[in-house]
Amino acid sequence: MDGSEATVGALVERALTAYASLAELGEEIDDEWSYIQDLTESWRERFEETRAARGSEELAAEIVTAIDLAIVEIGRIQDPHRAIDWLSTFPQVAITALGERP
Amino acid sequence: MRFQDAARDGRAVVYAGVQADPLVARAADLLADAGPAMRVMARAVMNGESTDRATWIGMFPTLFGSTSDAAMRDRAEALLDVALEVAERGEAVRSQFRGAIVEEVTARLLARRAPGAAIRRERRILFDGVRAEIHPYDVTVERDDASEAYDCKWGARGIGDDVLHQLDDARRHAQDEDTPLEVALVVFDARRSCDVRLGRSTAPVAGTRIVGLESLDDLGRR
Repeated sequence: MDGSEATVGALVERALTAYASLAELGEEIDDEWSYIQDLTESWRERFEETRAARGSEELAAEIVTAIDLAIVEIGRIQDPHRAIDWLSTFPQVAITALGERP
Repeated sequence: MRFQDAARDGRAVVYAGVQADPLVARAADLLADAGPAMRVMARAVMNGESTDRATWIGMFPTLFGSTSDAAMRDRAEALLDVALEVAERGEAVRSQFRGAIVEEVTARLLARRAPGAAIRRERRILFDGVRAEIHPYDVTVERDDASEAYDCKWGARGIGDDVLHQLDDARRHAQDEDTPLEVALVVFDARRSCDVRLGRSTAPVAGTRIVGLESLDDLGRR
């Protein structure tokens, strides 16, 4: 992994890509479609706050590993209801790993 | 205004068994004293995906990483083990345990400022001339001068108009009787997610305090 892949900006990008896939899975629950749009928009904004403030910051290997583990975790989810639960939980895990409060 | 035990129907009897499970008490003990990162970890683990301990240890460097001290790590490991025990239950049972744990944490935090005898569980609130709600409140603080009623939810998605109406109805009926009653919804999820859910609600929320994951400790303070 080169240095650019271990920056806050790169990690946020990877997290947002995984998050978008998770949202697609959750959208299978029609009744929650609007909630999912609002929820993901709100958490994307939170991620972007961190990227804007710390985008070029290099992260310790253990933080990169933590966020990549969280990305793998949500990638394993197949149930759309559980995906919706994780649409709130994943950002909290990732932002906590970045040393911030969600 | 008066309080009354909820009817002991079949569902209530089964749920009482969950509430009395020692795992609920152990989780609540640890969560009541946990910091924000530990509570996020517990939420993630109990959501139910991986039950691999090493995965979760790797996912929370603020708790288990090179900069965490031994005391923090010990507490976090204890909470992780309990959360994994919950996660390893089947989906339906896990859901019941999660609900019971949020209620028990709420009761324990309230006990930091209210006498234990005043804190009750699964109670209905009755008002003169008003048809009683069937659904009980999860936790109540019953005092002559300042009673409180709490409903508890595992996640923001659980916030529905029905529970918001029930809390607000109780508050308004108490107000009609000139009796103070504070109502609140405790949600074991980020306030940001709660606000999104509330933003789509048409139920009255102005008189209901929302206690999210970040502000759980406020339950124990006045």
